[in-house]
Amino acid sequence: MNRRYLLRKLATLLVTLFATVTFNFLLFHVLPGSPVQLMARSGHMDAAARRQLVRLFGLNHSLPVQYLIYLRNMIHGQLGFSYVYRTPVTSVLAPAIGNTVILLGAATCLTVVVGVALGVYSASRVRTLTDATITVVALGAWSMPDFFTGMLMIFGAAAWLHFLPISGISTPGLATGLLGHWWDVARHLLLPALTLALVNVAQFSLITRNALVEAMVEDFVLTARAKGVGRRVVLLHHALRNALLPIVTAAALYVGMILGGAIQVETVFSWPGMGLLIYNSVEQRDYPVLEACFLLFAIAVIATNFFADLLYHALDPRVRRT
Amino acid sequence: MSLLEITDLSIDYLTERGTLRAVDCVSLSVERGESVGIAGESGCGKTTLGLAVPLLLAPNATVATGSITLDGTSLVGLSEKAMDPMRWTKVAFVFQGAMNALNPVHRIDHQILEAITTHEPGIDVGAARARVLHLLDAVGIAPARASSYPHEFSGGMRQRAMIAMSLACRPRLLIADEPTTALDVISQAQILSLLNNLRHAEGLSLILISHDLAAIKRVCDRVVVMYAGIIVESGSTASIFGTSGAAPSAAHPYTQALISAHPNLHGTRVLAEGLSGHPPDLSQTMIGCRFADRCPMVMEVCHKVAPTLVTIAPGHVAACHLVSGEAS
Amino acid sequence: MSQLPDVTPPGEPVVGVRQRELWRSLWHDKMGRAGVITLAVVLLIIGLGPVIFAFNPSAFGTSSGSLLQGPSRADWFGTTELGQNVFREFLVGGRISLYVGVLATLIAIVLGAGLGLVSGYYAGWRDTVLMRFTDFFLVLPTLPLIIVLAALFGQNLLITSLVIGLTSWPQTARIIRSQVLSLRERPLVQRVRSLGAKDSRIMFAHILPNVAPLIFANLALVLSGSILAQAALAFLGLGDPVQVSWGTMLHNAFNAGAMSTGAWWYFIPPGLGIVAMTLGFALIGNSLERALNPRLKAQR
Repeated sequence: MNRRYLLRKLATLLVTLFATVTFNFLLFHVLPGSPVQLMARSGHMDAAARRQLVRLFGLNHSLPVQYLIYLRNMIHGQLGFSYVYRTPVTSVLAPAIGNTVILLGAATCLTVVVGVALGVYSASRVRTLTDATITVVALGAWSMPDFFTGMLMIFGAAAWLHFLPISGISTPGLATGLLGHWWDVARHLLLPALTLALVNVAQFSLITRNALVEAMVEDFVLTARAKGVGRRVVLLHHALRNALLPIVTAAALYVGMILGGAIQVETVFSWPGMGLLIYNSVEQRDYPVLEACFLLFAIAVIATNFFADLLYHALDPRVRRT
Repeated sequence: MSLLEITDLSIDYLTERGTLRAVDCVSLSVERGESVGIAGESGCGKTTLGLAVPLLLAPNATVATGSITLDGTSLVGLSEKAMDPMRWTKVAFVFQGAMNALNPVHRIDHQILEAITTHEPGIDVGAARARVLHLLDAVGIAPARASSYPHEFSGGMRQRAMIAMSLACRPRLLIADEPTTALDVISQAQILSLLNNLRHAEGLSLILISHDLAAIKRVCDRVVVMYAGIIVESGSTASIFGTSGAAPSAAHPYTQALISAHPNLHGTRVLAEGLSGHPPDLSQTMIGCRFADRCPMVMEVCHKVAPTLVTIAPGHVAACHLVSGEAS
Repeated sequence: MSQLPDVTPPGEPVVGVRQRELWRSLWHDKMGRAGVITLAVVLLIIGLGPVIFAFNPSAFGTSSGSLLQGPSRADWFGTTELGQNVFREFLVGGRISLYVGVLATLIAIVLGAGLGLVSGYYAGWRDTVLMRFTDFFLVLPTLPLIIVLAALFGQNLLITSLVIGLTSWPQTARIIRSQVLSLRERPLVQRVRSLGAKDSRIMFAHILPNVAPLIFANLALVLSGSILAQAALAFLGLGDPVQVSWGTMLHNAFNAGAMSTGAWWYFIPPGLGIVAMTLGFALIGNSLERALNPRLKAQR
């Protein structure tokens, strides 16, 4: 890949990360009514805790210095202390991250595979009732809030499918080996992953379908048909290959969406991931945890966009010259 | 037997505003080794006519009446599966504006190779590749440039690559739709030259669709002039457009207007005139001659009765009351 | 989950279409018509419902027998765990959900279209700066950002609307800007500029009417997204505790364990209400989008 392009993209990445960290700082530390200011000024903390807070964030210094201290803390992995758990935020985050990754991983596999397949099928049947039906169903699925879908799943499971667990990541007190534990987690993973995937499958299939349909009316598709190339080959080899470009771009946006969905689904199913952590920290006003979670989510999206950009670059020869 | 025989062909487009007859009862034949030009302004139906032969019409277009016979095979009503083997091997199409007609994410040689391997699946890859390079060389594209992407070629080169690709399966008939429109004059001349040479070298039959009369005059033996979906005049290019020795013998006022709008660089200086007005709305039924509203020599009868094609001279027909009055 | 269903692949701007044609094609399109009808039904119910069925606001169930009961003659949608009439809550809640959705959308559209208009019209360095700014906000994950802003700044309806609106404008801005960029090259605009017309006049009198259809298509999609965002916020406990929206109802139902105890009448009506309202707008937006971009209908 072009070295200059990569360097340019990395530079943009760093700038965006920097801007995000600054934005976070503004929200949580600077604006009047921001938690740190409130905590420091209120009388709810004992002297020792307040001293610790002041020392940690340099609250007795000027704002620019506070900012630099904040950056230094960030680089050292010092994300603050949880008000509720009274431990470093990082120790609260660590287990939650893993659980969320498991959930997102499962949901994404489902989403991409089913979504793209459905989109391709829908596009191949364009202008027929099948296509219209799939589009309407997809829009319907998109219109369902993640949490409502989750609630319906729980209702269904509680009423008819008693064997499916409806909350948590594992059965408490279950004594089995590693394989048994994984199976237990998998059983708990089914409903949340399915819920999370449902809405996004709709989005993916709609985007794939539209990207394909747009590609199919391009002139080069007509050329391929004129050459006598079969319909299926044209769809997959010509149209899809070109449609991949907008699909990849859309996939980058998808990450932002699925994080929002994860928050809802984890809350409904009590899945101990970062989404549930955000919900609890909001309820309990545990701002350091909230701040760290948001920062992590933002970085995840930015990183995904970065890789999506690189992928797009690799796929589109027209861009490679720059 | 003619290579291509189109008889009473009518093509309808189904639009939101109703049915539109883009081609109305058109008959045309092309002999082996002959090149025919189809001239007319935008929207006259010439592209639709061209696309109809390889059955590449848009989904909302239907062949209402008539037949198309290519090399003895009747094409209208054939399924895609039946038509596919004949595409590119019997009839190839060079599209307008090859910029978008080539897949931007595939290399040029790959795209030409695809044409070959689609119709000759057992062919040795090395031999196929050699053929690709040979084809590109014939149109003046160096082998080193063969594995470039379309966007790395200039407009002229892309058009030439498209022509090379169209010959990949040695078709009997080549239909070229405005192959020179989006190009600069130098490239235009090159492309036309190329088409001429290929025609003589390969014994190709050619249909050249263009609004550029100079191009048709250069490359075609015969010309068919279309207006608003019908043929208004047809004959040899030499007689209709005239040569350096003879004056143009175009009989239909529309053809005459087309000719006068294309000033000749040589010969006497004539002020180019355009035509006022615009073509009729094809979704409405038309009474009388379709050209009547714009015709400088319109008569009373033109608004009431539609003229039919009558023979003026051997091989030269026109649909105009002026002419039929004289002929009768 | 307030991301728009951005189903138009990013790329070329859409074709311009006159407004009247746009609405006509919406009605002719089966999906668009379905969307309009669905929306009309929902709006009718929540608009006229509270008026027709005038409940006594302090009519709480007094005996424990009327807590969390299924639908009956007296309570058409059953009762909540506090003995409230679910049907009444449903009717009132719909208005709140719609109110926030509309307000948030207005903010998002005004900001987004305004920014897109200015950015696309001036192009040049102003465009670059504004687009970098927009791209930054486009990258931030939407629902997490909304949650953070709501947690920090408050939960009343106005703030919620502001928060949702402030996170929805980037996509609108991008779409409008694309279209404006191509419009400014049109002969009409060039002509008027060379005659010395003021920039603001050109933008509002000439360019804006041409992007209006696009704005409407986008508006419907942003609306559906805003309604979902408000529902999610309310569900997570960040909605206005006094003004009970459908999302808040679901929050309450969730906390009361309605799903596991089988109290389907408690959470299914508000949930379906959200789905119906969102779907109505989404169908309309999708239909308008296809009207503006005929390529999506696969005609050449």
